[in-house]
Amino acid sequence: MSDNNPTSRSRRWVFVMEPDRCINCEACMISCSLENEVPLGMHRNWINKIERGVFPDLSTTFLPENCQHCANPPCERVCPTGATYRREDGLVLIDYDKCIGCKYCMMACPYDARYVNEEKAAVDKCTFCVHRLDQGLPPACVETCVGNARHFGDLNDPNSEVSKLLATHETYRLYEEAGTEPAIYYIRS
Amino acid sequence: MTTQRKPLQQLSRRQFLGLGAGVMAGTAALSGLDVINLLPAGHDAPAVPRPDYYPPTQFDREVFTLCEQCVWRCGVRAKVKDGRVYKLEGNSFHPHSRGMLCPRGQAGVATLYDPDRLQYPLIRKGGRGEGKWARASWEEALDYVAARMLEIKERYGPEAMIFSSTHNLVQVQFENLLKAYGSPNYGTQRSLCFNAMITANLMTFGLEEPGRDYSQTQYIIYTGRNVLDAISNSEAQDLVAAIQRGAKVVVLDPRFTKTAAKASEWLPVKPGTDLAFHLALIQTIIAEGLYDKEFIDKYTVGFEQVKAATQGYTPEWAASKCEIPAETIRRIAREFALAAPQAFAHPNWRTSNFLNSFQTERAIAVLNGLVGSWARPGSLQPAAGEEGGIKLGAIPQPAYPRVSALRLDGVPWKYPLVPLKLGVFQEIRDNILTGQPYQAHGWFIARQNPVNSLPERRKTIEAFSKLDFIVTIDIGMNDTAWFSDVVLPEASYLERYDPLAVVDGAVFLRQPVVEPLGESKSALWIYKELGTRLGLGDYFQYKDEEDYLRQQLAPLGITLEELKEKGYYRPPLEEAQVEKEPTFNTPSGKMELASDTLAKSGFSPVPVWEEPVTNEPGTFFLLTGKVAQHTQFATHNNKLLHERVPTNPLWLNPQPAAQLGIADGDEIWVESAGGRVKTVAHVTEKIRPDCVYMTPGFGHVSKGLTTAYGQGASDSDLHLTFTDPVSGSQALSQTTVKVEKA
Repeated sequence: MSDNNPTSRSRRWVFVMEPDRCINCEACMISCSLENEVPLGMHRNWINKIERGVFPDLSTTFLPENCQHCANPPCERVCPTGATYRREDGLVLIDYDKCIGCKYCMMACPYDARYVNEEKAAVDKCTFCVHRLDQGLPPACVETCVGNARHFGDLNDPNSEVSKLLATHETYRLYEEAGTEPAIYYIRS
Repeated sequence: MTTQRKPLQQLSRRQFLGLGAGVMAGTAALSGLDVINLLPAGHDAPAVPRPDYYPPTQFDREVFTLCEQCVWRCGVRAKVKDGRVYKLEGNSFHPHSRGMLCPRGQAGVATLYDPDRLQYPLIRKGGRGEGKWARASWEEALDYVAARMLEIKERYGPEAMIFSSTHNLVQVQFENLLKAYGSPNYGTQRSLCFNAMITANLMTFGLEEPGRDYSQTQYIIYTGRNVLDAISNSEAQDLVAAIQRGAKVVVLDPRFTKTAAKASEWLPVKPGTDLAFHLALIQTIIAEGLYDKEFIDKYTVGFEQVKAATQGYTPEWAASKCEIPAETIRRIAREFALAAPQAFAHPNWRTSNFLNSFQTERAIAVLNGLVGSWARPGSLQPAAGEEGGIKLGAIPQPAYPRVSALRLDGVPWKYPLVPLKLGVFQEIRDNILTGQPYQAHGWFIARQNPVNSLPERRKTIEAFSKLDFIVTIDIGMNDTAWFSDVVLPEASYLERYDPLAVVDGAVFLRQPVVEPLGESKSALWIYKELGTRLGLGDYFQYKDEEDYLRQQLAPLGITLEELKEKGYYRPPLEEAQVEKEPTFNTPSGKMELASDTLAKSGFSPVPVWEEPVTNEPGTFFLLTGKVAQHTQFATHNNKLLHERVPTNPLWLNPQPAAQLGIADGDEIWVESAGGRVKTVAHVTEKIRPDCVYMTPGFGHVSKGLTTAYGQGASDSDLHLTFTDPVSGSQALSQTTVKVEKA
């Protein structure tokens, strides 16, 4: 199951996040929930708040997070039915019809990115707004981000904003030591 | 680490939006098979999206309109599918949104489809606050309201009827109604917000609120203004961009807010003493000759007076007051002056929210003047004002009746310098109770929630009991509506027309995206219908909302249909833009560092130190503030926003928490001289040990708000009323409280 269009070049969709710009307003969370019909109480994206220090020497870092669409996804490896699959362009997606709700993927994911969607009778997660990518639109979270902290694009295109950002900034990824090869890069402060 | 919750029973988005059980058109797109085919042929990788991007529509229609989830009124693009609003996005052409929406703007869908929304007029049965209502037709309700209002006018005079509304796009017709009726009693929320700032700026610059050029500034000083929590969309975008560009940001705040977290330097100033900090900046800049002499000579008056009056306000003196080290104050003064004119001390809304906040705002205005931060790149900017230089058509109407009665809010007989437009809202409530200078008998409230917003909620409810008749217009049964006699349902902002908005030289339209819920109506319609029944039909010479807008648009040469398509219109500039010399609408025609107007009314002509109250040992200052996910008292019933921020625990520093034996999450009692509330403790390092903080807007008592009812505690139950005699500003952070474990 891959990109079955022979004329399009292969892409690698990635996020480059700028935590310094994230103000934890959560517009991204609400936008995503509405765009993707996420049930109340569940989330496809969230902000990780890291607070350090003792009054008055304090610091706070906000990390926008969603499913990492790993190049080496543990969720795909453990899925007994093949419901979870990875496309050539990097998106890790779910065939809801094949999902049996065993939740093995939820246990395997080190990022805790998945949730049960009872309406679909399947496990669900961020899709990088694949339905919007088709229209040439960015993910809903990217479009609304007030701080302009979320950058999204094609890593295989050297002229894309994300490629340029990665070339000019030091970045890190979450849980790199787990070998998941996540598609979300964070610019160091 | 994450916010994932696994509840036993999920509430699907469809359920909370009240949609039918059938599959929504478009959900098929998320099924496995369709996903594979989504990648189009030869499609270029999308650039990171920004303004000029109009996506091809897969919706029934996209409608451009204006948000109303806060006063910033960002341009919104509403996507409609199967007759329902599916999604809201920022309108890239609106200067306040630039294609982005804050969390409240995004959540507007849940406001529109809030199951608790008012659908038809209600007339009270039973006692006030019992929640017993009879449904009425518009005819019945409006006839009844008009009859009661005319009765009050005949028996007691039109001044016995109070009119209050928080500033919004239809304000011009609200004001029309009350002026035609003949009442001088007009309440807005301004004295609860920015009277101190506006009055100080009027005295100094001759305008209400200067603009700020973030794009080229090198240095910003915030005094309490918390742009990254109390988000004004485009201003928050600008601040983040300025920080990334390397601008230095200094934040004075007793709390480590998000703005403080992103700032270069956070100064945990002692509450009420920001004034000392700014007076010392002025003193240092003058003493060390760091001021812009040329600018001061050309554009200001009163420099010598300021110099003489501030001589004693050294950084050492200030340090003893505000608990910021003298060397820090001195260094910041030098840095600020050096960066100027690409620097500004932000006017804020109300700084520390103490009685001396007027003086603080004056000091900030003078500080900007001393370094020539005016009408230059990176500095404060003269603002165009609300009309923005565009001449809209006016609806014809007769002259208003002459009003001879005094205003209940004490302007100007008790508060000589408070602008009539601002008023002193809390004084109206107080004088309903005192019956001075006369007894009020009725209150007409539109798009406002004084029961929750005025300090000392029980006093407001007591004031209600003195009135014969109370009518409220709102989209939901907020606490004020709950205690009213008649409640009239306004259509939500996504369902109605409003008068045009002018922003940055362009005209923007609010237009209906979908049909109004139930029998809800626009305020334009309500005011006309009511006005006609009051015998004031001549003041409402428009057939309907569209006719109103056509009259407004007439001088601009664009039709309503054309405007509806794009949602905005930018008239061509008539004359060439000439670089004009800065002018100031003050008595001297210059920037008044020293103000004769203040002196003549017996106030200090220059910024002067006023000692704030101190908190007695064992008590804390109760601070107020904002969160990004809520707007004042209006959004707590919105299911999406409620999920993000469902309640308002009390922030408490770990030191006093330990002394009081309080752990994070413990139930606590918080008590002021005005009242007592039970809430939950949030023990955090992010606040000074002598302060506590509670996000306002919670603790709703209306059972008509099923999501918000009883959630959190009301700060209004604790705040005492303190009114600054110069600006009429309510000091919302100087109430002190005791805290104990419950």
